[in-house]
Amino acid sequence: MNLILEKQALPELLQSWRESFDVFLPQKLERFSHFMPLQDDTAVLVNEPHNTRIPPKALFLPMTETLVKFTRVGGYKDAENEVQPRVVFAIRPCDAQAVQLLDTSFLEEDYSDPLWREKREKTVTVGLGCHEPCLTGFCTTVGGGPFNKAGLDVLLTDIGGSYLVEVLTDKGTWLFTTLQPADDSAIETAHKIQQEAFDRMEVAFKTEHLKEKLEQNFDSAYWDSVSQSCLGCGVCTFLCPTCFCFDIVDETQRRERVRNWDSCMFRTYSLEASGHNPRPSRVERTRQRLSHKFVYWIDQVNQIGCTGCGRCVRYCPVGLDIRAMLRQAQTLPFEVSHAA
Amino acid sequence: MPDIDTIKTEAKRLLQEGVVEVVVAFKAGDTPLHPQPAFFSSPDEIDQLVFSGLCQNNLATFLTRLPKEKKVAMVVRGCENRSVNALIIEKQKSRDNLYLIGVPCEGIIDWRKIVEHVGETVLAVEENTHLVTVETPNGRFALERAILLHDSCSRCAHPNPMSADIRIGEARPEGDPSLARTTVEEFEALSSQERYAWFQKEAERCIRCYACREACPMCFCEECFVDHIEPRWTESGATPAGMQGWHIVRAFHQTGRCTSCGACERACPMDIKMTYLTEKLNHDMKKKYNFEAGLDVQTQPPFATVTLDDKNRFVVS
Repeated sequence: MNLILEKQALPELLQSWRESFDVFLPQKLERFSHFMPLQDDTAVLVNEPHNTRIPPKALFLPMTETLVKFTRVGGYKDAENEVQPRVVFAIRPCDAQAVQLLDTSFLEEDYSDPLWREKREKTVTVGLGCHEPCLTGFCTTVGGGPFNKAGLDVLLTDIGGSYLVEVLTDKGTWLFTTLQPADDSAIETAHKIQQEAFDRMEVAFKTEHLKEKLEQNFDSAYWDSVSQSCLGCGVCTFLCPTCFCFDIVDETQRRERVRNWDSCMFRTYSLEASGHNPRPSRVERTRQRLSHKFVYWIDQVNQIGCTGCGRCVRYCPVGLDIRAMLRQAQTLPFEVSHAA
Repeated sequence: MPDIDTIKTEAKRLLQEGVVEVVVAFKAGDTPLHPQPAFFSSPDEIDQLVFSGLCQNNLATFLTRLPKEKKVAMVVRGCENRSVNALIIEKQKSRDNLYLIGVPCEGIIDWRKIVEHVGETVLAVEENTHLVTVETPNGRFALERAILLHDSCSRCAHPNPMSADIRIGEARPEGDPSLARTTVEEFEALSSQERYAWFQKEAERCIRCYACREACPMCFCEECFVDHIEPRWTESGATPAGMQGWHIVRAFHQTGRCTSCGACERACPMDIKMTYLTEKLNHDMKKKYNFEAGLDVQTQPPFATVTLDDKNRFVVS
């Protein structure tokens, strides 16, 4: 279903959703944008050139989330993490695709995560396509695109004075009942903008045989060279929309069991109780990070575990660029695997 | 600007003559705003060496990551030289295994300030002592270098390397030490509630990624207090207590050790201000003990020194 939304009508429409939903949208926080709840006086800034600094995965997997509260007498009860129905507005396609990728982990049939599931079920995602895709992003390289619909209930395309609203799921229908259908020329304009944006994205690296090359060069000096200047901080993984590792900790003073974001780039991540660390240096940790995204995700769900948002490229404190690392990986020797 | 060819010639000579095994410097990044730290171990690689105002890391942070006995050359600015000195004092490296290529510093350009002025898409950057010219899809912008400097650099007191083996480029005039003092005094002038509000606002944006720790040359502990499990010193999550605990203790561990380089702030993905805390401690060390970290390789930091006339008798009795 294609509808038309005049830009000037947007603030009022967003406010009207608040009757039934918590509405999250990117807002200015210091020098960057951040998904925060819409208030009465929120200035609607939807045309920030880049996605939010912290990916919207945080709306589904908070940095710290209480799982269980202990009582003084030795019992425990589940934490009350009540979630209101909500709309995530102006989520970029790369970030929405990432949330859908994470569903494969958190909503797996036998091991479904109730906290993730509740938030996902109660959330409507309204995406805003990137008519001016960013230079550090590489969504098309990893199978997405600036107007990719994966993980979205609705996709908006900025066509000048208005948005073309493509309602993709039943969940999204309710939000836009007041709008008029789009005419053919609006649809045509939108498709042209979408195609132009797609075409403007360059191929950042080739993905053909990348998995085999990374896998077969597990012990290569390549890993030393790409990890040499890595500081071992958690910027790339914490700002990554598809990184979902967490650590479960008992905060005994607060009598709570919590889960916190964790990062495979940290020394403590793979440190075992014996003191042995199977990933003793940044070399092995870098290999893990890249291999998880470009080997293990493919093994498990047949998708690359990176959506090309470019945050790790923009915010790495030492300027390490995953695109360059993977271009270098493409020069590694490999043999075609004949297995299945 | 220092002459890049002279730096390269010297770096190449050091490797060719076997004076050092590795030269730690910068190479061009894959995006114009982000040159990368680089480790050159063969003279042929030196062509990749770059140096610009956008080289934002304190290279001394890599010193403790390289084998202690390795002969290392490093391109150092004023702050990096002070960090190297502080590390030598803390016995993390012997001066005999180091060759310092000193470059007087015109201040590090804060790439975030460029982005604030011209937007996030930057195609190329050129700079000279006064101007930074940025090319974007919307045209070329010439910006004054002074307004783009990182805050730590605009109040830098010692831009010149003080104990380099060779200096490349003309020495810069020393900075005005009152600038750092002014920052501290402004913060001190606030009421305690206002100071706490400021601290909360900054600290509680933290995502506990520890980029500040890893970027800091003086944070070389094998095991950081936040990673210690038994006993646990601080909450590990992104909770107000955890985030505040991290920021305050991190700063205190720098007392008499911080060289005011600002690498912590430049590494932070959340734009958190944190040098106001370390500057306050530096200010106190200066006022109470007339000590500044890293100015030489002899003077022990006051908190690492015990004398028999120490008024706190518990130290020796």
